[in-house]
Amino acid sequence: MTTAARNKNAKIPAIEKLRFLIIDDFESFRLSMRQILRSLGAEHIEVCGNGATALQRCTYENFDVVLCDFNLGTGKNGQHVLEELRHRKLIKCTSLFIMVTAETSKEMVMGAREHQPDAYLSKPINQAMMAQRMSALILQRTTLAPINREIELENFPAAVSLCVQMLPQQPRYKTWILKTLSDLYFRMGDFNHARQVCEDVLQVRDIPWARLGLANTYIAEQRYDEASSILQSLIANQPDYVEAYDAFARSLAAQGKLAAAQRILERAAERSPHAILRQQQLARIASDNQDIAAASQAWRRTIELGKHSIHDSATHYLELARSLSELCEDDESEHGQALASEASTTLLALQRRFKEDQNACTRAALIQARVHAGQQQTGDAEALLEGVLPADPVNTMETDVSLELAQTLYALKRSSEAEAILAELAQRHTDEPDIQHKIEALLDEPVSFKKKMSARQLNKQGIAAFEQDNPEAAAKAFREALTFVPNHAALNLNLIQVRLSQGAGKPGTKEWIQECKGCIEALNSLPDGHRQYKRFRTLKAKVEALSDDS
Amino acid sequence: MTHDESEHNEPEDKKVPSRSPTGSAARASTDAATRIDFSMILASAVHDMKNSLGMLLHTMDELGAELSDEVRESKKFNTLRYETERVHGDLLQLLGLYRIDVESLTANIEEHFVPDFLESQVARHVPLLDGHNITHQISTEDINGFFDADLVAGVLNNILNNAIRYTKTHVEIEARQQDDFLVLSVADDGEGYPAQMLDNQPTHPGTMNFSTGSTQLGLYFASAVARLHENAGNAGRICLYNGGRLNGGVFEIWLP
Repeated sequence: MTTAARNKNAKIPAIEKLRFLIIDDFESFRLSMRQILRSLGAEHIEVCGNGATALQRCTYENFDVVLCDFNLGTGKNGQHVLEELRHRKLIKCTSLFIMVTAETSKEMVMGAREHQPDAYLSKPINQAMMAQRMSALILQRTTLAPINREIELENFPAAVSLCVQMLPQQPRYKTWILKTLSDLYFRMGDFNHARQVCEDVLQVRDIPWARLGLANTYIAEQRYDEASSILQSLIANQPDYVEAYDAFARSLAAQGKLAAAQRILERAAERSPHAILRQQQLARIASDNQDIAAASQAWRRTIELGKHSIHDSATHYLELARSLSELCEDDESEHGQALASEASTTLLALQRRFKEDQNACTRAALIQARVHAGQQQTGDAEALLEGVLPADPVNTMETDVSLELAQTLYALKRSSEAEAILAELAQRHTDEPDIQHKIEALLDEPVSFKKKMSARQLNKQGIAAFEQDNPEAAAKAFREALTFVPNHAALNLNLIQVRLSQGAGKPGTKEWIQECKGCIEALNSLPDGHRQYKRFRTLKAKVEALSDDS
Repeated sequence: MTHDESEHNEPEDKKVPSRSPTGSAARASTDAATRIDFSMILASAVHDMKNSLGMLLHTMDELGAELSDEVRESKKFNTLRYETERVHGDLLQLLGLYRIDVESLTANIEEHFVPDFLESQVARHVPLLDGHNITHQISTEDINGFFDADLVAGVLNNILNNAIRYTKTHVEIEARQQDDFLVLSVADDGEGYPAQMLDNQPTHPGTMNFSTGSTQLGLYFASAVARLHENAGNAGRICLYNGGRLNGGVFEIWLP
């Protein structure tokens, strides 16, 4: 039962067969780490001083153990290296990635959305520590290698049976095996078994990862209320468990509670500001929630974090520029000008960084044209548009570029061209609800963010007035809203419904019918796949019947 | 009347429409910026000092390799190493306390294999133990325990450092299960804890007496970490006494 003090010069068995890579920006650390590993019996040891070189090395050579300092000076940090190694599959599942940090805790790397290192080693590191950790980790690697090999081959059922078999034999790796088991069931879509693993753990003890795992199975089965209540109490008990916030936000967003999801993600991003995927998610949710200012801020952070990250993408730049262009449209104040100029800078940066991405560059030009238009620089806007406008847009452009084009045409008051493009797109993508939604949104509200918001506010007021039996006030609100978005389907139909409710034969009926006809006219080009189409047909028939009567 | 749901979801959040830079939010943050958050400044300074000391320790290890055995094993060189290690440890505790207090750090409890955990904590101190000619022994069954490894490692780190200072020849690290608790203990064969420290065990900052040096800080941190561990109505605690198998000071942390 007793472990005697170990012989500090003991070599680790089989270590000579392993290939080591040491990544540290300080030469003295590289040297001393190499020396320590040598004294433990390691023979294949490579060193390098920055992330980019490390990634290159790993492209050509397979390493069994990577010891990487978190802080690598300028350029990529240890987390970037880890994510890129795993993302590009430059190291195997069976390899060990050890993050070396000067931090006591995992605070810098805390809450990385994906890819955790196999172990942390905190500086200063001495020989005895390294000997102890290395032999423990190598033993772990060897013991668990059969499971990891099956996972690498995506042979999940085999990995599951190995886990089940090893669980009673390996108390040392119990936590790892249980987490892996639950994760494997989850990845196979067997949520019942995944949940069972977590529930068994929770029977013995309230363990945060098992609570999170449990909630994730409920989310996967769309049992959002159950998931949310688990996650709410988990966050209350473990306010620094950032992954729980991510799951909670997912659950809330899936229920359409966008504002709540946004707030949760904001709290998570505050605690763990370095995870790019979380910032990206926050930006998307804020954007869906129409909180454009918050979305812009999150896109800014995403771009900043993307500089050295494998997750960097042209989309981040486009989305920031789109948000900024909405914020500054028709705002020529100093503030508006500053936002417009930030949008331009962002788009320029995109065109430099992603110059091979033709689609992104075309979209960038189209957004830039809108920025000009929003600052009343119509000449510049038109010139930019002409530079990228093909003869037959829909047949030569990708769908997302065509949608961007339609939006820019609207901004330049070339509505009929925009509508033609949207109609053609709608026909082409009848079975793709995502694209249909985007088309509808543009057809309904081809105007600036602020006008859209005013119209929505008025629509709300109109509905409230109507519910309070005040049809005149309702009609007034809807009419005013329609001055912002004349072709908005729901608004036009709401106005018709008010007028119809006021009934025929009363003074003013004639004018009302006239007004209704105007609304029908505005919706004449409504595509039959529009969600309001059925309602449009019904109300149109009623209006026609009324006009026949009178 | 229909709310056209997806097209008409209003910004649910009231703060949304316009956050102009001249708005009240901007003014409030300027006010906050002019107030000095002293604990945060201290924490970041401590963080920086701790990293510097880490560098210092590393350089000392390197230097040690270049020195003659005589100098390397000299009392002065060991004192240099020990004192640096001690300040490094103190700063770690300060940061830990800051995080528990200000960032409402909670224990992230997982199941760990106790022998591996203890060995890796002791390994960090091997150069010091060797330097002071102190022998050590880890006694534990092959058991698993539930605790936050980062936090408990911080506690043991400080206690071991302290034991190295006050012991004569030997330090013993033991783990056992007792009354639904996992008990980790560090025993030495030194003079034991002073009576006043045993009477007045530091569970609250108000009862701390800094005149005895960093020991009190370490114990306060240990008891804060112990109390973050809860299970089935039991809370963790620490316990100090003199005597034990080595007839010196004994520190125990009881984790439910």
